Amino acid sequence: MIIVRDLHKTYGNERTGTHALKGINLKVETGEFVAIMGRSGSGKSTLLHLLGLLDNPTRGEIYLDGKNAITLSDEQKTSFRLGKLGYVFQEYSLITEMTILENVWLPALCLGHGNNYRKRATDILDTVGLGHRLDHYPNEVSGGEQQRAAIARALINKPSILFADEPTASLDINSAKIVLELFKKLNQELQQTIVMVTHEPEDEKYVDRVIWIKDGLVAEDGLA
Amino acid sequence: MIRGLFGNFKLAIFLAFKSIWKGNRWASLLIISVMALSFAQLILTPSILSGVTQALNSQQINTLYGNVLVDPKNDAYYLENATVIQTLVEQQPGVAAASRHLTNGAFIESNWKTTNVTMKGTGGNYRVIGIDPEKESRVTTISQTLISGSYLNRDDRDQIILGVEIAGGPGASGASFLNLGGVKVGDNVRLTYANGTQREYNVKGIFKARDGEADRQAFVSYTEMAEAMGTGFTERASQILIKTGPSVNETAVVDNLKSLGINGEVRSWKVYGGGMGEVVASFDVIASLISGIGLVVAAIVMFIVIYISVINKKRQIGVLRAIGVNRFAIYVSYLCQALFYAVVGIILGGVLFGYVIQPYFAAHPLDLSIGKVSLATDPATIQISIIGIMVAAIFAGIIPVINITRHSIIKAIWGT
Repeated sequence: MIIVRDLHKTYGNERTGTHALKGINLKVETGEFVAIMGRSGSGKSTLLHLLGLLDNPTRGEIYLDGKNAITLSDEQKTSFRLGKLGYVFQEYSLITEMTILENVWLPALCLGHGNNYRKRATDILDTVGLGHRLDHYPNEVSGGEQQRAAIARALINKPSILFADEPTASLDINSAKIVLELFKKLNQELQQTIVMVTHEPEDEKYVDRVIWIKDGLVAEDGLA
Repeated sequence: MIRGLFGNFKLAIFLAFKSIWKGNRWASLLIISVMALSFAQLILTPSILSGVTQALNSQQINTLYGNVLVDPKNDAYYLENATVIQTLVEQQPGVAAASRHLTNGAFIESNWKTTNVTMKGTGGNYRVIGIDPEKESRVTTISQTLISGSYLNRDDRDQIILGVEIAGGPGASGASFLNLGGVKVGDNVRLTYANGTQREYNVKGIFKARDGEADRQAFVSYTEMAEAMGTGFTERASQILIKTGPSVNETAVVDNLKSLGINGEVRSWKVYGGGMGEVVASFDVIASLISGIGLVVAAIVMFIVIYISVINKKRQIGVLRAIGVNRFAIYVSYLCQALFYAVVGIILGGVLFGYVIQPYFAAHPLDLSIGKVSLATDPATIQISIIGIMVAAIFAGIIPVINITRHSIIKAIWGT
């Protein structure tokens, strides 16, 4: 579950800087598939970065699975991200020197899981349809396949919440559809909580709920 | 805790291995090349300067002093019973050869018979040494430095060999008015010794030892000098020069000779190094300065090359942090990479130096005015260079990573 209270983010000086978020309040229940939408510059990506503990808010509170994540130290946030959160970036963000399998296995390795998690990585890659690409390097597969590998990497440590920052922005229509259907499947079959930033209106049909952000505030929050 | 630390090390080594093995080969090659060349350069420059100082020292030993000298006591002009002392010295462990010198000052002149007033009176005061040519050739290299004529024989009485700075001519570095103006082998010179004795000698040979002081000496046979100096000099010596065996500790030889109770002063050649010792010390200072500057320059170059390489991986570092790889593992990973580059660079640099540069200099030594100079590599220089390269690599590898990981993960991923 995610609870956000009065979340502010200002880039630069408090008085003269850019106020990206001006007091966001929201709640995401466990097992929900939520889309955060809004125009470019509305603050939706900033919100996702803060929820994913990749950046620090200027003020406000973020509760992830009941824990006030803002009070965590940098190293505690790293551990929290590793064990509880999964993150899919707009661009594929795979480590180019590692095979697809190694990329997916890497977060498990960080948790001290050895070869037993190689099997899990292989299974997840099978699930996302990349069972035949295990030993390929990122530059040897398509953009859609790289994004699916990134999703598999985000799932390896069984995260409570999966964050996705415009995961289909760099993909063609077919690959985007495959990725979104994969998210839907994960949400429905595994009750995976997913928070996805998107600016594509047609993505609405895959999610349970849409939160519209405008000028750094929640403008609309409702069922898709 | 320990398990976590071990896990982090394992993870870091995995990341480093993948980065080196599957990373940009050209970047790796460039970094290793910079490391290798920096290392070779760090050894080369001090080795050349050490070679110069070694050549200067060798010149002193081989042309003027030998390794150890026996001088008369401070209150005496000569060593008495020189043959006995020499024989005793020759029997000591570590002593390869000994040669006694009977030294005198003399006014040497050429063209004293000529009626040409511009030529007449060419001469000057020089040091003339009486030697046993055969023994001398085992202690000094004068016999090997003849540029014309031949070396002395033991029984030569009216023969003299002159240093090139006495004879003059094209081989001399001094101006012609400072020497005999170009005396040749076969010419006659007249010597007026300090006691007034005048002798004429035929110039048998001219030598060029490439040491200013040595080349201002002249040699006659011991018998000839003893006779020229008067009665009672056959068993006297001004000095006994001693050549020690290869790898023999000079100090041990000096200590041993002192313990024999010889009626004379036993000294190492270094005592006589005098002004040249200061030159050598100056070279050591210069070598240290150049090494220090070279190390700093090499460190900066390596830092820049590794820094650029790491900066290019800024986004990747951001992604690693975003997916939960902790800072420690990232630091150790880049540290391992930097150390890998340093170790491979040092090995390749060492191979380049040991199997290319050093053999080249051995085959083609620098021909300087002091003699042939080849490389003299000091183990301490190698140790300092290795430490320097490693330290530079560690800083170059770790500082940019610390810098990147201090900033926001998002900025790292965006590359801003």
